[in-house]
Amino acid sequence: MRILREWIRGLQGTLLLGRRDADLEHELRSHVEMAAEDARRRGLAPDDASRAARIEAGGASQAMDALRDQRGLPWLDDLARDVSHGLRTLRRTPVFTAVALLTLALGIGANTAIFSIVNGVLLRPLDYPKPEQLMFLTAEFPTLGLTRNPLSVQEYLEFRQINQSFATVGAYRAMGGAYTTGEVNLTAGNQPLRVRSISVDAHLLKTLGVRPAQGRFFSEEETDRAGGLAPPLAILSYELWQTVFGGQPLVGQTVNVEGRPHEILGIMPSGIDVMDNRTAIWLPLGLPAAIRQNRGFHILHVVGRLKDGVTAQAAQTELNAFLENWDERTGSSGHVPTTRPSRAADHTLQIQPVQDAIVGDARRSIWMLQVAVGFVLLIACANLANLLMARAESRRREFAVRAALGASRSRLLRQTMAEGVMLCVAGGILGLWVARVAVQALIRAYPTSVPRMSEIAIDLPVLLFALGVSLATGVLFGLAPVAQGRINDLVTGFKEGGDRGACSAGRHHIRRALVVAEVALAVMLVIGAGLLIRTVYNLTSVDAGFDRSRLVTFSMTLAEPYDPDTRGPAYQRLLDRLRVAPGVQGAAVMSGLPPNRSPEAIPTRIENHTASDGSPVEIIDYYQFVMGDYFETMGVPIVAGRSFEPADAVSPDRVVIVNETLANRIWKGRSPIGQRVRPNLSAAIGFGGNAWHTVIGVAKDVKQGGVEKETGTELYVSLDELAMAAPTMNVVMRTILPPAALSRTLQRLVREVDPAVPIVRLRDMESVFAESIRRPRLLAQLLGAFAGLALLLAAVGTYGVLSYVATERRREIGIRMALGGTRSGVIAQVMKQGLQLTAIGVVVGLAGALGLNRLIASVLFGVQPTDPTTLAAVIMTMTLVAAGACWLPAWRASRFDPSVVLRTD
Amino acid sequence: MSNKAARSKADVLQGTLDLMVLQTLDSLGPLHGYAIAARLEQVSGGALQLNMGTLYPALMRLEQRGLVLGNWGTTETNRKARFYALTPAGRRQLAKEKQVWDRMVGIIHTLVHGGA
Repeated sequence: MRILREWIRGLQGTLLLGRRDADLEHELRSHVEMAAEDARRRGLAPDDASRAARIEAGGASQAMDALRDQRGLPWLDDLARDVSHGLRTLRRTPVFTAVALLTLALGIGANTAIFSIVNGVLLRPLDYPKPEQLMFLTAEFPTLGLTRNPLSVQEYLEFRQINQSFATVGAYRAMGGAYTTGEVNLTAGNQPLRVRSISVDAHLLKTLGVRPAQGRFFSEEETDRAGGLAPPLAILSYELWQTVFGGQPLVGQTVNVEGRPHEILGIMPSGIDVMDNRTAIWLPLGLPAAIRQNRGFHILHVVGRLKDGVTAQAAQTELNAFLENWDERTGSSGHVPTTRPSRAADHTLQIQPVQDAIVGDARRSIWMLQVAVGFVLLIACANLANLLMARAESRRREFAVRAALGASRSRLLRQTMAEGVMLCVAGGILGLWVARVAVQALIRAYPTSVPRMSEIAIDLPVLLFALGVSLATGVLFGLAPVAQGRINDLVTGFKEGGDRGACSAGRHHIRRALVVAEVALAVMLVIGAGLLIRTVYNLTSVDAGFDRSRLVTFSMTLAEPYDPDTRGPAYQRLLDRLRVAPGVQGAAVMSGLPPNRSPEAIPTRIENHTASDGSPVEIIDYYQFVMGDYFETMGVPIVAGRSFEPADAVSPDRVVIVNETLANRIWKGRSPIGQRVRPNLSAAIGFGGNAWHTVIGVAKDVKQGGVEKETGTELYVSLDELAMAAPTMNVVMRTILPPAALSRTLQRLVREVDPAVPIVRLRDMESVFAESIRRPRLLAQLLGAFAGLALLLAAVGTYGVLSYVATERRREIGIRMALGGTRSGVIAQVMKQGLQLTAIGVVVGLAGALGLNRLIASVLFGVQPTDPTTLAAVIMTMTLVAAGACWLPAWRASRFDPSVVLRTD
Repeated sequence: MSNKAARSKADVLQGTLDLMVLQTLDSLGPLHGYAIAARLEQVSGGALQLNMGTLYPALMRLEQRGLVLGNWGTTETNRKARFYALTPAGRRQLAKEKQVWDRMVGIIHTLVHGGA
């Protein structure tokens, strides 16, 4: 405390009151002159007077020296000396320095990289004015297990009308049914592009609270007009405007969107998006009357801005009151939200801050990574503390000499600290570089694994974090030798005769504790990594219901001027060409691409069947509209009945195929073949009526909504029968060729059907699946890397401590061997010591892992946090690594030549 | 060892010099260095002759501790000089040091002249 006060005073002296020499000299001169004046007044001759004055006042140069000292840079001098001394010491031990710097650079770099994710994704507020006021309103279907669903148009309009908590409420539509995919074809010049789109109303733009960078936004008249198509207007994202249009003046001009010219009204400010949609083009929301009036159509995502001073809590309370009697309050009936959902179609409404809604499940994974990488840094610190302690031991003599020569304890302490802090600052700078490279690589390799990816950057908070971590690390392990009590006890260094004395037991306690801690932390990390690797393995080995090898898929959209009747033949023409293309063994078209579909939950009538809640309609999770030899091409086995046949297309009888889950749920063991269902085709795809269909077959379950999810109920409808198609369809081919080799042929074939249509996301089905589990995979890879690093560091730490202990005990070992001890005895003894420490560490680590169960459980799939196989594997790995780390020092100890060891003492 | 002894001796000197300077500024108001030295010499009847090497570092120390504030000004003889004035912190410090001093004097007086 006192030292700190002095430093601050010294700092003030340096920076605030740093009077210049000239100023000081002037003051002294005026003193002497005044003294001389006084002397003259007392009657001395001028010469005598000035001499007397100089004698009386003392020497000006001595006074200047004293003043300069007082002006105060002694601590700065000391610091400079510490730094240069530290540099010399570090340069004298290049291996130590290199190991320390590498460890620190990796430790701090990894921490900084992960923190930049924590900062960009979790901590930094969204880029809107008063972002905390923005709330996301969703419909929850607890009985169906559907969460975060959009609202129906009626609900949205009613809520906007009756609520008192929100200043504005707006809506948008991104991914919806089969005809809005959240992407549009955009023609810039003559290159067809596929860009991410969003359809918004004017209220939403007002809710976001941003102003256009150029031009204007949509007006309420333009987005709220009842019925019909949205006007052909567009707003471009700043990024699209810059990259595709080169930032040329564009407002007032037109671009082709889905083949139709659209006027560009304005440009969004840079970085503005909605719900992490990665929007490139903003279109006005158009709501056809059929959709507008159907309360079962949940298609609008709703964002509201709370009034000033209203909390999210208050808004939810108000909303709950509405849910009590929504129908009376709004004068509506039928499918309305309620507080007590009991039937399948019943839903409730919920409010969540927009930022939470965006980050969602990723929050837990990101914090988990931060904890994991923090563990790695702690292990690195423990290692460095060990190294510095060993060094302090060997420098005890040096310190003793310096203490004897008058160096104060605080000076010596500061000197060891200076070395630590210097290492850490250098390590921190290297670490920042590591972090930058790592974050860039991460963004490149996993562009969509993490929400708000574009906001991840090394910015000021991240820099401060890196600085803080570096300094804390430096102080932490720089202090270790002090904690060991060595420096306060320096003088004994002489008495003990250097470092050869029998070592006091207490001194090793800290080191042993460090080894135990390192092993424990490493065990926790390795368990975490092991569980996640199991999870990824389980996810990849889930039976998705079809043969996904040698399957290539892409998506395409036939927008206007196509209509359902012209699309059918167009896709048919493409299929005919694909089937005879070289290398293609089969081709089909489907509306939804597994395994990333979101449930559609379409109410469907089934003959002689009443749903469990008494409703005449059953909610079916997915409709899959297919064309061509779908089941053969995909390799989906038909487990009962038959597949679609060309004859079905010309027969007047309409037919469908159900999946096993649907068959079991509805017909419960009886054969579904010949039963009749009435698919709600217009709700599902927008055309096709609602005729009765006969079930002709049962297909094996396909994981439509994610490999980790339960299979939903599914109904297959043949589009060949209808001779119609949705705008966007997924083409799938069984082929021996990789996507890249097919690309050219496919381009040509699609161009033959329509030259203006781009091929989107051409890839094999394996990568579609890999993409669907990208987050657990990323988590497993990062945790695996951290665990590997931890394992390595812990091994190095154990090795270091054990070598040190063995060296210290070499006299004892020498005596034993001189008295007839065997080499294997020595090895066993040293190894026992090391393995005991490891065993304690493993036990502590297992206990710690149990404590962290809850953190990891939610990201696991098909494996328990206490999975015995994983734990056993981890214990085995740890033991093997520890045995390796212990064996080398033990072996070396057994090679001590007793005669040499005993003589040198 | 010698280091420590020297420091403790210097501490005593510093303490009394600081007290004297602060007291002088308190009773006479802002003064320049020479006036402080002259005043102390006069009060002590010539016994206390401060040379510049003692006085100015002391003033600088007081200034660094925020107890006095120095500013260039003009003397009555129209000479430029640095005037030191007591700060509020300086006034508080003076009161504290006076108390300590009085107690110390009391103790030493009792000790030296008996009475206990």
